[in-house]
Amino acid sequence: MTAVSNPAGFTPDETYTPDGEYRFRNSREAVRRLPFPFPDDEYMYSMNLEPHVPAGAGALRAAFDVDEHYVSECAHRDQMLQEMPGVHYLALPHMMEAQWDLLELIFESYNRDFPEHFTLTRNGNEWRWQNRLLGIDDSFTFGDPDTLPMDPMEYATRQAQGEFVVLEERDNTLVIGAGMTTQRADYSLQFNLGMNFAEFHGPVPKLDKMGILDRALKFLLRMKPGHPVRRVNWSLTVHPRLETSVETLPDWAPDRAEVTAGNAGDMVYLRIELQPLHRLPRSNAIVFPVRTYLVSLAELVEHAPDWAKRVHRALASLDPELADYKGFHRYHGAAVAWLAQHDDGAPLAAGYPWYPEGIQPG
Amino acid sequence: MLITGIKSRPVYDELTPMATGASHVAAAQGSGGEPLVRLLREMDPDQLSATTVLYSVESFTGKNHLADLQDFAVRELVVFPTNADAVSGLDALLATAKMGTRLYLSGSEGFIGTSMQVATSYGMNRDEVLREHAGSFVRRVWCAHCSHYSENVSRRIFRCPGCARHLIVRDHYSGRLAAFQGVKADGEVPGELPENEELDT
Repeated sequence: MTAVSNPAGFTPDETYTPDGEYRFRNSREAVRRLPFPFPDDEYMYSMNLEPHVPAGAGALRAAFDVDEHYVSECAHRDQMLQEMPGVHYLALPHMMEAQWDLLELIFESYNRDFPEHFTLTRNGNEWRWQNRLLGIDDSFTFGDPDTLPMDPMEYATRQAQGEFVVLEERDNTLVIGAGMTTQRADYSLQFNLGMNFAEFHGPVPKLDKMGILDRALKFLLRMKPGHPVRRVNWSLTVHPRLETSVETLPDWAPDRAEVTAGNAGDMVYLRIELQPLHRLPRSNAIVFPVRTYLVSLAELVEHAPDWAKRVHRALASLDPELADYKGFHRYHGAAVAWLAQHDDGAPLAAGYPWYPEGIQPG
Repeated sequence: MLITGIKSRPVYDELTPMATGASHVAAAQGSGGEPLVRLLREMDPDQLSATTVLYSVESFTGKNHLADLQDFAVRELVVFPTNADAVSGLDALLATAKMGTRLYLSGSEGFIGTSMQVATSYGMNRDEVLREHAGSFVRRVWCAHCSHYSENVSRRIFRCPGCARHLIVRDHYSGRLAAFQGVKADGEVPGELPENEELDT
């Protein structure tokens, strides 16, 4: 895969690794189109599922969002897969039908939502896929894995932003059957593969007590093809590092101890996860994509001052148990202290920004 | 019975003869011999004569139930010096097993988990297998950083023999790897270890 030199509007030479010196930044437009995940001053853990229909002109306009980081992110995925084979992409043997389902979903969505960059031409099962951002023009037979250079899921998700976990329905629960997870937030795909819904949510505190898990599972099991739903989630991370898996924790966890109230603006990134879930038509599996956006606290202050104030308030009132689970217990206070300088306490709108009455960037 | 707040840990059964079985394989390790003796007592003579018993005398707590197991008129009793040998023996036995075989597992979580990996590789379903935990609460732990498996881990924090890191054992269990997850305990500040404790649940 060789990236086209410099497609208009894209930043193809960004890095998400210490070796690449974290050469990453967001344009003003990229910040103001984010699926900002804090509808209220106080953050409450919830499933907050809503129909995944196009909303606004930002990250929720498309089924699978593509932004200025697309080319760099695909290059990062390739680098991660090469560095640690068998760790970031895994699929159980019986998941092939779901893999083709996912390829179709991603390619059709990109073709529909970004025709200037992607073209899918279908002639029966003979498909042609053109990806002008990565310089790809391939023909293959849908359903015949021998006509692709790798698994259909790996092929499609190497050309997609965000990570993808495919859940198969079995005995009234959802079981992890495959994943492309080069952007994991502190979990292990090798370890979680084959777990059911309750098992892989095991480490999340308080969830079960609140009855959220059971309700969420029942809701997901009722999902129908063509009616995707979405939720947003978030965490904090140090540096614009996408790959923070359990496996590499010794490499990235020490960064957490470097954060101070003085450097938090540049060191601490809000990690926003947009999760648009789809039921897949042939396999009846559900795909759980996690589209991750990174934005530094300083970028928020500069380009979206009202969102920065909201993050300050949500973090200041956060349950310590959640801060611990999300992994930023050690620098939680530093982030709040840094953000406090940029919050005048003015009242802010409630609701997600993709709704007209919701909180806008400011 | 092992009942904890760990959502991903297997829910264990009580061994009792499965009436639908045409042939029975009962594998146990150490303290797991006790539930096995109870199971064999509940079997009728026909079931006993259709039962192969595999028993490993390796035990973390030193319990040995071999003498009691020898009292039963089973099809075959095979004794192994180590748990790994017993799991290999189970693998060889299931390779030739026919439809209608029922499997009973008893012992440490590590022994049950690795035996389950073998059973799963032969396509045995959960309704063809009963598992009963017995003995100590020691855990089998997978190191997330070097993929080394440590048996019989009894403390929250231990040193990984594979990569020499201090690992903290998370309360998260993978059936596929048959192990709990171990991650670097002093990941954020080297040398700053959380308080250690006995893994007694």
